Amino acid sequence: MLNKQTARIGTVLLALVAVALLVLAPGAPAARDSADRGAATTLRIWTDKDRRADIERIANAWASSRGVEVVVVQKEFGDIRDGLKTVAPESAPDVVIGAHDWTGQLAADGSIVSLNFKKSVKKLFPKYALDAFSYGGRQYGTPVALENVGLVVNTRLAAVPKSWADFEKRALAFKAKSPDNLAIAVPQAPAGDTYHMYPFFSGLGGYIFGKAKNGALSAQKIGVANKTFLKNASLIDKWNREGLINSKINYDVAKSAFLKGNAAYWITGPWEADTLKTSGFSFRIVQLPKIKFRSVPFLGVQGFMVTRFAAGHGVGSLAKDLVGAYIARTASQKALAAANGRFPANLAAGKQVNDNVLAQFGRAGKGGVPMPNIPQMASVWEETNAAWLKATKGAGATPARTAFATAARNIANKIASG
Amino acid sequence: MSSSAATPEAPRRASAGTRAWSLPSRAVAAFSGTPGLVVKIALLAIVNALALWAGTLLAQQHKWVALGALVATTLAIDAAYAARRSLPLKFLIPGLLLLVGFQVIPIVYTVNVAFTKYATGHILSKDQAIAAIKSNSLGPPENGKSYVMAPARDASGKLVLLLLDEDSGAAFAGTREKLEPLPKSDVQVGPDGITGAAGYTFVKGNELFTLDRVLSTFTVPTGGAAAIRPEGLDSALELQPSLRYEARSDRFVRIADGVVFKDNKEGSYVAAGGEDLEPGWKTGVGLDNFSRIIHSPLIREPFLRVFAWTFAFATLTVLISFAIGLLLAITLDKPGMRFQRLYRSLLIMPYAIPGFLSLLVWQGLLNDDFGVVNRIFHTNIPWLFDGNWAKVSVIMVSLWLTFPYFFLVSLGALQSIPAELKEAARVDGGGGWQVFRKVTLPLLLIVVAPLMIASFAFNFNNFGNIYLLTGGGPAAGDQTIAGSTDILISYTYKLAFASGKGSDYGLASAIAIIIFFIVATISAITFWRTRALENVN
Repeated sequence: MLNKQTARIGTVLLALVAVALLVLAPGAPAARDSADRGAATTLRIWTDKDRRADIERIANAWASSRGVEVVVVQKEFGDIRDGLKTVAPESAPDVVIGAHDWTGQLAADGSIVSLNFKKSVKKLFPKYALDAFSYGGRQYGTPVALENVGLVVNTRLAAVPKSWADFEKRALAFKAKSPDNLAIAVPQAPAGDTYHMYPFFSGLGGYIFGKAKNGALSAQKIGVANKTFLKNASLIDKWNREGLINSKINYDVAKSAFLKGNAAYWITGPWEADTLKTSGFSFRIVQLPKIKFRSVPFLGVQGFMVTRFAAGHGVGSLAKDLVGAYIARTASQKALAAANGRFPANLAAGKQVNDNVLAQFGRAGKGGVPMPNIPQMASVWEETNAAWLKATKGAGATPARTAFATAARNIANKIASG
Repeated sequence: MSSSAATPEAPRRASAGTRAWSLPSRAVAAFSGTPGLVVKIALLAIVNALALWAGTLLAQQHKWVALGALVATTLAIDAAYAARRSLPLKFLIPGLLLLVGFQVIPIVYTVNVAFTKYATGHILSKDQAIAAIKSNSLGPPENGKSYVMAPARDASGKLVLLLLDEDSGAAFAGTREKLEPLPKSDVQVGPDGITGAAGYTFVKGNELFTLDRVLSTFTVPTGGAAAIRPEGLDSALELQPSLRYEARSDRFVRIADGVVFKDNKEGSYVAAGGEDLEPGWKTGVGLDNFSRIIHSPLIREPFLRVFAWTFAFATLTVLISFAIGLLLAITLDKPGMRFQRLYRSLLIMPYAIPGFLSLLVWQGLLNDDFGVVNRIFHTNIPWLFDGNWAKVSVIMVSLWLTFPYFFLVSLGALQSIPAELKEAARVDGGGGWQVFRKVTLPLLLIVVAPLMIASFAFNFNNFGNIYLLTGGGPAAGDQTIAGSTDILISYTYKLAFASGKGSDYGLASAIAIIIFFIVATISAITFWRTRALENVN
């Protein structure tokens, strides 16, 4: 009996000792971590995989000049936006890289803070690149890299068009040569592709949202069916009849048509730069010729933002220093844009781009329109996608005027009900 | 206590007499005896250690509810495994914990969110939102000045901002009280701003970072509504608030035109004209999300249309694929058939290929210009571009993915039906069809009916099929985001993550709860009906 009791007490004691040991083991590093954080000021940055190495290099150069430490955390690009909503404040980032069209949502959520650039920083960028990160009249990010589609011309098969009429004629002539040929390889199927179609849209006078007095985009001013555009919309019907544009072409079909020589004209962006370089074709990249107006593409801009957590971590000023001053520098911009094969936002860095393909895409993006960054844009894509799909599906297509007027009405309704 | 049955060896000895140990007692035996005891103590110690570690973290973050739950759970685990009684509990606890962790908590959370305004623009707490509105309202006034800045201390140790006007190149010393020009002779200026000033020492390195909170509230008055504020570590701008917060009445007033923004009790400050301030905050709104489903025609009408299609989709998929599967199973059930195994294996192929792969392949096959289907049949059917054809395509592909399952199940179930029963029926003069209808099918349904219900519930929420094949499209043409082939769950997804203003978790949770009740009701009714089938036996 005594034996058993001793055994039981022993058991309990042993358990306690084991508990204590196991607590100490994981507890110790946790204690060290917090001590570290107190000793040296640490700034946490979220980045995607492509730019990780360059961001680490640039942020570390900045950090050592300031005497601080940076922790660079790698995330899936899209998870950066979504993660900001749910991350615990202790492990939250102070600075993130992101796409400009997140700006509206993140600012409306209160996840990012507004920045005020001094004049010498503002001068470093074209206005449209800064505008991409402005929301409600406030600046929320520093642009780093630009991307946009351009018209890629296979110069063996067709000449670089001088005008829209010239372009239309050459494209149709090429298509007539073989039933497998496409006039313009621009992807739309299966769900529609407002992004790739934007140059055609802007060339006819279309725009998505107009601007309010303070320069901020206004969800009330929908330009999808503005008068000028509707007046020109009959051209879309003509293109549809001629087979210039067909909404049943998807991304892979468009790409392989161009690569097989079944399309002389391809609408695509710098993400295909490597494909183009290895294709062995001789090609030129230009902006789509002016239709009624300049056929400018949508701009996608990537850049850095300061989160609401930075101030809470006591690094608000540091984060603004990194994003609002250091990242804006020409040298930082050049490296960061090159890291994932995009054209830099900084004007001086843009002039120094010596990658021929990137430089051509950069020029094709001149005057481009940043994709609207207000949250209401979520109501737009599907409608304009559908309008293009319906208006350019070949036989049985809806007149473009009707398709876009319907789209505009639906967008307005969705925004009102949101 | 004196009985040997109380010793750890008791279970082994007690069962030593019976040769065939049951599985539970084997499992128990593994945890008895001295080695078992050691293992047990070690495992419990690990659990306790993890709990203690998590507990300290939770305590640091002042998450008392979670801490309470953790302590209670840990004590319960200790009690259940340390005590010699409560054997069933020892087996149930892991399952219970998983049930609570992965079922109960998400459900409670979803229900909670359904009664909350939780959407894009409403994720902060109210205090955080007020702070954010205040800081976002700061902007440069017209012709506002911007400065290259360096924080420094004067002779008395007081914090001063040394400022260099970017336009005029004039130098200033800014304190919380005033902006004072510095004589040119006292200041050295380099390419990066002020590099030295007589009577001031620069604040550098770690000391600078400890000033973060001070700098963020530091303002140098310039006489007007604007004040100079530091932005980062080497720049400062003249900034001016556009809004004023009045804490006593809990409202914002726009300084330019006096418009008042009041708390609308739905997580926003809203002006009389409907204009609101961003960001808003997360707040409880009662049944608001549910009433939107009922009262907003832009949500209600597509909801009903989508509900009807969801029901049709799930029902047709299950019934037709069961019919196909059964037919094939009966055909291949003939004893002595040649290549029987080969046929069976071939028929299971669609089931063996990962579903998402098949769906993407089908999407390509059904492309109406370039797809194989139209090319082979020389047709020009808009498989995925026309609302009705898209529905046909969705069901066809869904059948392709589902029939092998029912084929397998029917094949097994058919073989389990005793041949004597059919024999007897035939002897009684039943024809082939009659035997099938009166004997085979009812017996089969006893086995298959619950599986059909499960398959129905699965297809009712078969997000992957719809999302990967059509993405819910094509657009239905009315003023809604619900496409022609959207089922409830994909519609919910679109509402939650692509509604007019971004995400709306509250509304999506409300619809998720409705979906749950629909599926639960349908399942309950069908289960109750199928119990009637068992009476055939």
